[in-house]
Amino acid sequence: MSLARTLRHIQRAGIKQWWHDLNYIGDAKFGRLIGQDQFGNRYFENLNPLDELPGRHRWVDFAQHDLNATQVPPEWHSCLQHIRNEPPTADKVMQNMSPPWKAPWVENLTGTRGAFKTYNTAAPKINAWEPKVTDRGA
Amino acid sequence: MSFSRSPALLGLSRRLIATPASASRSSLVAYRLLSTSPRRLASLGHDHLATPPPRSPRNTGTLGAGAVPGSDVNPYKDDASAIDKAVHLFFFTEILRGMWIVLEQFFRPPYTIMYPFEKGPLSPRFRGEHALRRYPSGEERCIACKLCEAICPALAITIESEAREDGSRRTTKYDIDMTKCIYCGFCQEACPVDAIVETQNQEFSTETREELLYNKEKLLANGDRAEAEIAANLHSDHVYR
Ligand code: SF4
Ligand code: SF4
Repeated sequence: MSLARTLRHIQRAGIKQWWHDLNYIGDAKFGRLIGQDQFGNRYFENLNPLDELPGRHRWVDFAQHDLNATQVPPEWHSCLQHIRNEPPTADKVMQNMSPPWKAPWVENLTGTRGAFKTYNTAAPKINAWEPKVTDRGA
Repeated sequence: MSFSRSPALLGLSRRLIATPASASRSSLVAYRLLSTSPRRLASLGHDHLATPPPRSPRNTGTLGAGAVPGSDVNPYKDDASAIDKAVHLFFFTEILRGMWIVLEQFFRPPYTIMYPFEKGPLSPRFRGEHALRRYPSGEERCIACKLCEAICPALAITIESEAREDGSRRTTKYDIDMTKCIYCGFCQEACPVDAIVETQNQEFSTETREELLYNKEKLLANGDRAEAEIAANLHSDHVYR
């Protein structure tokens, strides 16, 4: 990217944010903060074609150092992957479709002790023989 | 470094292209007669036509060079001359132009999307990880009709069903082997109650194969977490379904 753009973004975002971005995204980024999810991940948008190339105009700044793409909850995932135009804070359809029994989002826990371990949900069809002697009354 | 394609030698080519037009008159007339021959030949063997169609005597046609269709158009008018072509050939200008394009790309910004911070666009019809949905009341949708199991081309779905205590038929086992699944989306198309869907989640990779053998609880949990996104995607596509 151009030097002028980099300097412009450093000046707008500040040295601290630029250093942070450089360590994670690896680029000087600056944009409008469109929201923050329940985990503290912050989402930005910059629609200026002089600043960002198409496809790079929405990004997330992860709250955790040990970051992972699945730390983005589904509502914000829709926004980040350009499935829905509006962020969930402004998306009426998404808000109306959220049921009261919605479960909290969990990131992909593979490789940890929280990894999914499959099990059988039906009763077993083959059972071991349990010897039961009928009482003969003797 | 630009060899302009000047029309300096076009006069020569125009003269060259004009030569076939001044061919002998008799051949032109013969060509003209042949092109109109079907009607003349067809009428020869018929008796009910008392008089043959009128014919002009040979070599009396009035067709000139201008009557040949397309002879006033020079197809080589704006093209390069032979010397132009030779110059481009001997000075390797095509190679230089190719190298210039490569050099231009060197100074252009890369179109690299920095995953996972930035992501490419995804369709609301994207077929990712599976989920079982619930009705807004919280009742699970699946009625154990086994249509998804029947249509699955990879035979990835296994269903067992039983009557619940209130008499409604529900699945006791709904397993999807995600390592067998080819993510064709037939199951969600077959489902009459929109119970099985494929969510937009594509980041469900695991360390062990065992974790990909999903059972009913896992699928329901997927649906419970992502219901807002699933419902919004179905809503955005509902006019086409
Ligand atoms: S997506 Fe296709 S292969 Fe996978 S479970 Fe559904 S029907 Fe079977
Ligand atoms: S998921 Fe749908 S198609 Fe499959 S058994 Fe349940 S209701 Fe039938």
